[in-house]
Amino acid sequence: MIPVEYYLVLSAFMFTTGVIGVLIRRNAIVLFMSIELMLNSANLTFVTFASFLGDSAGQVFIFFVMTVAAAEAAVGLAIMIALFRNKQTLNADEVNVLKW
Amino acid sequence: MTLEIILFILFALIGAASGVLMITRKNPVMSALFLILNFAALAGVYLLLNAQFIAVVQIIVYAGAIMVLFLFVIMLLRPDAEISILRTNPLLKYVAIGVGVLVFAQLIYLIFFFKPLNITPSDVAERIQIGTVENIGTEIYTKYIIPVQVAGFLLLSATIGALVLAKKKFE
Amino acid sequence: MVINTIFNSFHLIGPEIAVALLLLAVVIFDLAFPKNKKFLPWLTITGIIVAGFLTVKQYSLESGFVFESGNTQGLIVIDNFAFFFKLLILGVSLLIILFSVSSEELKNCYDRAGEYYTLITGMILGMFFMVSTVDLITLYISIELVSFSSYVLAGFIKKSKRSSEAGLKYIIYGAVASGIMLFGISLVFGYTGTTNFYQINHIVVHSLSPDFLLSLAFILIFVGFGYKISAVPFHFWTPDVYEGAPTTITAYLSVASKAAGFALLIRFVKIIFFTGIDENGYWILSKAFNWSYLLIIISVLTMTVGNFAALWQNNVKRMLAYSSIAHAGYMLAALTMLSEQGLLAIVVYFVVYGLTNLGAFYIVLLIHNKTGSEEIDDYDGLGYQMPLMGVAMTILLVSLTGLPPTAGFIGKLYVFISILDAPHYTLAVIVALNSVVSLYYYVRIIKHLYLNNPKVEREFTFPVTQTILVLVLTIPVIILGLYFGPLLEMGKVSLRMFGF
Repeated sequence: MIPVEYYLVLSAFMFTTGVIGVLIRRNAIVLFMSIELMLNSANLTFVTFASFLGDSAGQVFIFFVMTVAAAEAAVGLAIMIALFRNKQTLNADEVNVLKW
Repeated sequence: MTLEIILFILFALIGAASGVLMITRKNPVMSALFLILNFAALAGVYLLLNAQFIAVVQIIVYAGAIMVLFLFVIMLLRPDAEISILRTNPLLKYVAIGVGVLVFAQLIYLIFFFKPLNITPSDVAERIQIGTVENIGTEIYTKYIIPVQVAGFLLLSATIGALVLAKKKFE
Repeated sequence: MVINTIFNSFHLIGPEIAVALLLLAVVIFDLAFPKNKKFLPWLTITGIIVAGFLTVKQYSLESGFVFESGNTQGLIVIDNFAFFFKLLILGVSLLIILFSVSSEELKNCYDRAGEYYTLITGMILGMFFMVSTVDLITLYISIELVSFSSYVLAGFIKKSKRSSEAGLKYIIYGAVASGIMLFGISLVFGYTGTTNFYQINHIVVHSLSPDFLLSLAFILIFVGFGYKISAVPFHFWTPDVYEGAPTTITAYLSVASKAAGFALLIRFVKIIFFTGIDENGYWILSKAFNWSYLLIIISVLTMTVGNFAALWQNNVKRMLAYSSIAHAGYMLAALTMLSEQGLLAIVVYFVVYGLTNLGAFYIVLLIHNKTGSEEIDDYDGLGYQMPLMGVAMTILLVSLTGLPPTAGFIGKLYVFISILDAPHYTLAVIVALNSVVSLYYYVRIIKHLYLNNPKVEREFTFPVTQTILVLVLTIPVIILGLYFGPLLEMGKVSLRMFGF
């Protein structure tokens, strides 16, 4: 049996990668992908604990996370398309009618 | 080294490596493809955890639906000329990596000093039982009926919102 | 037997069912009568009134879980605390829909009116669950329902670059914050093995010293809350989104969504960490995580950053955005006291702040309708050109500053009482100094309204309905400033949370 720590280290690593991705990338689509990576690392933690604790709440939670991830992708990409029609850029730094 | 360990290390390495590659590729299409690889590796890890249904859904929903949407939008918008911050502003890169290392160190520290208060370790039979479609379906449609309904409304709102924002016809 | 439980609890979620049906009704009517969108706001208002009626009917019910069966506790509760916030949210929504009818900005997207009201209803539904949730799953999904509706609404005016940009910034910050919060939730789940607040409480009560893992997990979760109530350092989205979004939505976000966030934060802190009450009426929280310390730092930062950033703003909407950040700071300061007195202050403050802020945004909206601008320089001399609006705006700004004889004074007073009761003099001094700073930028608007000469001579007339709405928002601000007994009574009743 693989110890619980192994899974948690993997999930921590993925979460960190996601956070770094959010910080260094400025392309809005890649930014959303990094956020998906963060959500997935949380999913991995949930499945790990659901399995090790024998509690199905963790697995149920993943369905809601997936719902949210799908909705996030749809809404986020729709906003990007609306913005792209106004202004031909997707770099979050170039979006600057409003000041950061 | 049992087969389980070998498989875990394989999936974990693929998952971790593809995550890193995802955030460092300049081309968004490559990023998306590496993210799909990451999701596939995670599905493998879920199988090792006896979460069969979640593993399948992971492939169908994440790799299948969400990432196709991403790729579709990338192709539609052609934002091929990203000014990579990695090249233009090295300072921010080091700050980001510093933050990342800090977060990671903290998490690793926690994980190894991790003592859950009421863990009653489950045996394999129980693990397989909670991962079945039957068990998850029963839980979702009885105990978790309210969040499921809310999730339904969330999807409805998101669909309407996406339509409103993306449809071409202006006033 | 599970089905029976669900059927037996239907009357407990009457208001939620009414709002859900309203959402579907708006969608169906919009599709069935695509040419006639005039009556959509009135349909929404009817639905909100019905939901309000059902909520009031719940008042006499015992507080308790909804859908409780056997050994599984329910995911949401009904109690007076939720009751109060539900009524507040419904009242604010009602006013926002009346605002929307008179907004010129939204007339440009008339053909999307159906979607607009659907999304507002979606937000109401999400906030209803936010104020009554006692489970991490419902917490997450309801926050997301509110967030998604507001992302779309912030970017609703597609033609305006400002609005689309606001939407994009909002969703990026929101998604990152919710991702971080989700990781925190997963750690809490792993540590305690449950998602129910009361069961988490059972486990957390026993820890005698700060627990590093739990602390990190709760800080991660606080990122999500901080983002919803726009506390520093998670406030970056606020000025941009408040400036870029349609004014009606700005007003809605600054009051209703903030109220729901606060309700959730209070319930979360109180239920999970509560171990008892000391002789002075302060909550003794579990030592697992030092909330008081975190909240004091955050609240001081929030009010200071909000007030000082507001000093340099020339766009009135942006200035009000920073001012709403500062107000969140005052409310957090009351929460840091961790006492019933502090909670009472927050409840009173929310009623007052909601009324005043809505009024201020409505007048900004009306001025925008006429002049097409929100810049403070274009407000020059408007006080003489639109006398009633000028006076009303002055009253509302005085109330936002917290000076007598307006309702804002009562709100501030109760915040001070709760802080001085503790006693926590440093914090009280900081709050007082911040109020002085805020006086400067509020008075600056009044100065532009009355002391600067108008650039163009013109007269403005407003329809009777808009005048009445302004009066409805302004007169209570004065009345509540002089006669606030009922407000206090209502506040005291609303503090009762299930389990205490």
